[in-house]
Amino acid sequence: MTTASAAPAASPFTDLGTPAALESRLGDPTDPGNPLGFAAFLNADERGDLLSAGERVLDAYGLGAEFVPAALGGRLGQADHLARVLRPLFRRDVALALGHGASNLVGSVNVWSSGSAKQRRWLADVLLRNGRVAAGYTDMSTGNDVSRTAFSARVERDSLVLNGRKEIINNLARAEAVTLLARTREEAGSRSHSMVLVDMASVPRERLRFLPRYRTSGVRALYLGGLEFQDCPVPVTAVAGGFGEAMETILRAFQVTRAVLPAAAVGTVDQQLRTVMDFAVQRRLYGRAVSELPHARSLLAGAWLDLLVADCLATTVCRALHVLPGQTSVYAAAVKYLVPTLMREAVDAMAVVLGARSFLREGEHGVFQKHLRDLPVASLVHAGGTVCQATMIPQLPRMARGGWLRDDGAPAELFTMNRALPELDAERLSVMAGREDPLMAALPEVAAELAGDRVLGPLCASLVGELRRLKDQFGALAPRDRTPVASAGTFVLAERYAVLLAAAACLGVWRHNADNPNPFLRDTAWLAAALGRLAGRLGCGPETDGVPEPVFAELARRHETRRGFDLTGRRLA
Amino acid sequence: MTSAPYPAVLDFDRALGDPDDAGRLFSYARCGALDDREEFPVEICRELDFLGLPRHYVPAAYGGSLHRYDEVLQLMRAVARRDLTVAIAHGKTFLGAVSVWVGGSEEQARELGRLVADGTVVSWGLTERDHGSDLLAGEVAARREPDGGYRLTGEKWLINNANRGQRICVLARTGEQGGARAYSLLMVDKQSLRGDTYRPLPAVKLHGIRGADISGIAFTDAPVPAAALIGAEGGGAETVLKSLQLTRTLCAALSLGAADQALGLAAGFALERHAYGSRLIDLPQTRHLIARSYADVLLAEATTLVAGRAIHALTGELSVVSAVTKYFVPTLVDQVVSRLSTVLGARSLLVGDTFEHGRFQKVQRDHRIVSIFDGNTVVNLHSLVNQFPQLARQARRGEVDRLGVEEAATLTAELPDFDRERLSLLPRPGGSIVLSLADGVAELAELARQGVVPDSLARNAEAIAAVAGEVGTAMAAHRPVATDVPVAAFSLAERYARCFAASAAIQLWLRNHATAGADHPLWQGGLWLEAVLVRLLDQLLPGRPDTDGDVLERLVPVLIEQQGRGDLPSLLTHPLVKGRS
Repeated sequence: MTTASAAPAASPFTDLGTPAALESRLGDPTDPGNPLGFAAFLNADERGDLLSAGERVLDAYGLGAEFVPAALGGRLGQADHLARVLRPLFRRDVALALGHGASNLVGSVNVWSSGSAKQRRWLADVLLRNGRVAAGYTDMSTGNDVSRTAFSARVERDSLVLNGRKEIINNLARAEAVTLLARTREEAGSRSHSMVLVDMASVPRERLRFLPRYRTSGVRALYLGGLEFQDCPVPVTAVAGGFGEAMETILRAFQVTRAVLPAAAVGTVDQQLRTVMDFAVQRRLYGRAVSELPHARSLLAGAWLDLLVADCLATTVCRALHVLPGQTSVYAAAVKYLVPTLMREAVDAMAVVLGARSFLREGEHGVFQKHLRDLPVASLVHAGGTVCQATMIPQLPRMARGGWLRDDGAPAELFTMNRALPELDAERLSVMAGREDPLMAALPEVAAELAGDRVLGPLCASLVGELRRLKDQFGALAPRDRTPVASAGTFVLAERYAVLLAAAACLGVWRHNADNPNPFLRDTAWLAAALGRLAGRLGCGPETDGVPEPVFAELARRHETRRGFDLTGRRLA
Repeated sequence: MTSAPYPAVLDFDRALGDPDDAGRLFSYARCGALDDREEFPVEICRELDFLGLPRHYVPAAYGGSLHRYDEVLQLMRAVARRDLTVAIAHGKTFLGAVSVWVGGSEEQARELGRLVADGTVVSWGLTERDHGSDLLAGEVAARREPDGGYRLTGEKWLINNANRGQRICVLARTGEQGGARAYSLLMVDKQSLRGDTYRPLPAVKLHGIRGADISGIAFTDAPVPAAALIGAEGGGAETVLKSLQLTRTLCAALSLGAADQALGLAAGFALERHAYGSRLIDLPQTRHLIARSYADVLLAEATTLVAGRAIHALTGELSVVSAVTKYFVPTLVDQVVSRLSTVLGARSLLVGDTFEHGRFQKVQRDHRIVSIFDGNTVVNLHSLVNQFPQLARQARRGEVDRLGVEEAATLTAELPDFDRERLSLLPRPGGSIVLSLADGVAELAELARQGVVPDSLARNAEAIAAVAGEVGTAMAAHRPVATDVPVAAFSLAERYARCFAASAAIQLWLRNHATAGADHPLWQGGLWLEAVLVRLLDQLLPGRPDTDGDVLERLVPVLIEQQGRGDLPSLLTHPLVKGRS
């Protein structure tokens, strides 16, 4: 185990010529001789087994500490930093990233915010020893609608008696610790559930029925387990937080995971783009390299822009967990809704370029289809897109009325990536967002600064116009349309909000990172093209065909020099 | 529609039995298990042989039962509705043989027809490892021998059934110079070759259709008799391109079968499952996702119905029809499947027997191959771009084959026998389907005046016609280039394809609503037509003001009714086989 030291996160722009620590340890994944390369991960995927060499490297690195707050001896500080730490892992294998890493975040965040001192210490020790924590929130009969769960915990003297099933839970049958969402009152509503932290080694075995492992098309190596508790006693002190408080606790925890996981999964799509670029520069069609064909260039550059947009939005919302904890209930849902959509479409465009190779499970491009299968699982972890829209809808009318197109000012530290932030504290996150929208404020604010720009001026103006229209539309919503069972038209409005929020994030990131060492990201070509694509989604803005040449040129440069395709562009192993 | 226009398909479906019944050979359970273990569906393919499917791959003129291509398309859809691996593994023999139907001699065709009807597996060796869709860069060479035969050398790779096929139709270079006339087609009989003249290349591991035999074959001086030459020497590329006009159109069968599966699974789940205190189908957002998907499936079906009949009715225009169909239908269905996965949530990913034998994730993986093989998305769009000048010229002259369009769209109309002489690499007289938009719009306007269809339908059709006008102008302005086709031309081709789909749908509705569709709720008042036009307008004019009203919503009760009755969600009436009927 590596002793974790709680140093403040370094600037993401420091030393960009050197690969990140985890990236270095994992080595060049395309090297066929690398035991931690794609060939090995593809094999592990075929077997449905996590790559044990990979698990050992993560243990040596002490990945568990990344999920433990500094006060308890870990390195959990900044959410955007955590996402970047995880990217090399998501680049190589989503199964390992979730199965030996990110799942720990989902199951532990609650405990840091609501658990007792004793529970926090115990769970920190589990993770610092590279143990695992599973998040037992869902079962198949109620799915995402966790509040309707039948899983119950009943107090009997000094015991808590557990009854019911948890299904399709990552690591459930092999985790040292499990956090369970349990019903502690019969009544419907949001005060009827409690969180229970169980030390799995101490549970009486005869009260457990292990269900067969679930298998999925992607992340085949994940140990998705199921477990039925039958009158299973655990100490009453296993309740984490107060009785009846679990729904609130869980809604806070989801904000963290909904922001961090999509931000980390940028690494997966980064690799897919890299694989397709490898193909495009080598492959010759009609007498020239595929990378020289205008249509292919446009698809590839477009996919990259979408990746940059996803990074802008996800990174900004990770930072919002620290800077704007009152608003992230909406922001995190917007990330979890939009980023997987952007990524899926980007990957589909890449697949068009890769052609038949996108369908092969072998050969040097075989990782593409593996990541293609893996991504939807990463997207579904704790809420699919519809659930996220349903989370946003009841909160947006208030933000529209109170927060949009006011001169509130977007805080610079939200966007300035090398500005260190206070440690993540899930306790501060609000379950319902307040009426301000400081992230969105970046849209009109930076738009005003750019009003004179020949390209960006009109583009931003049309986006601001869309925001104005959206504000009116939210103002006119019928009461029923302010609930999760709103009309389909309201879901479209939520989607449009997320797209505009992404535009605001792009503008904010561009405006407040003048010290980004990459001149391309300081310049406006990518910004205009990225905003153009977002405007295209909204059906507004000037029509454009293809992607400007400088964007593809930078993509090709990064590919050739083995630089990340994300906002930092760090050297890869 | 009281009677299905494809009675033979119903009989075939019935013979295959209820796929939910694990005791049937062609069951979902068996297909799921085969996929898991990456096993070739040997027994199921044999069953299809017993049921006489291969005879439908052989034109009646050559001794088979293939009278109508639109019928074989629906047969393949019925297979694909159960499993895409099987459809692709078995249907491949048609692709392997088609070059002979299109370019071979009567004698060759009769001989191959006999073999195919007896269950001989024929594969089609076009692509090579380093050249993919660039067929005219192929390196496999056939050297002429003094006796008139050939010696074949080189490797074909990513070939469906290359290992299992007894025959393989190989495109090989026979000319010294490059270019289209340098290639010829040879029907190679693997059983007649000595073992040291060819080597099977192992089946590759695939993302989807995991059990299929997508493999390769490497020839070394393999002797091929002169009689194996299909058509004239140097005519191989032309025969392939003509054959592809048939196969690319028929590929839509695979997409429709995939869509049938995905929509059936999602609708079934949404009808049973509850959330937030109501059935999923009653939650507005889920309902809308399903309604949009249903509309898209109906659009894919309408386009395919017309395209399949166009093989007979508009043979000379297939270069346009096939490129549009092969681009548009698979892409649309990929999107539908992806959208429906959000309805199913985690269940969309499950493998094994936990949920519906893992069918959803299987169909989602399997179907991705359809927009890749047999000419991928880029190839088909590129082909349309190359035809812009021709299409623009014919639009200017107003050359429309009105009779052909009417035959293609009228489901009850007799179709002329397929005549291979009418296949053409350049469309003559032109894009009759798209050019029929103006007539269709006028007819709809008249019907709106009579109160048969709502005004909104006529307006939506007009909006599409306006887009088609702009597309036509832009196509006329397009300057042909050999390489470096500008990105704008590709988006123009995509828009053209959508206008094609709209016009095909309009014609289909107009020609059948009063007869075949009279007692089908989808056809009344132009319901399905308006829904599919709204979907097309969403893509052609994104961000246009929302004037859809509730047309998508009105589709849902029909879907629920079809689902409840055990019918296929379809424009046609097609009862699915349930239980031991």
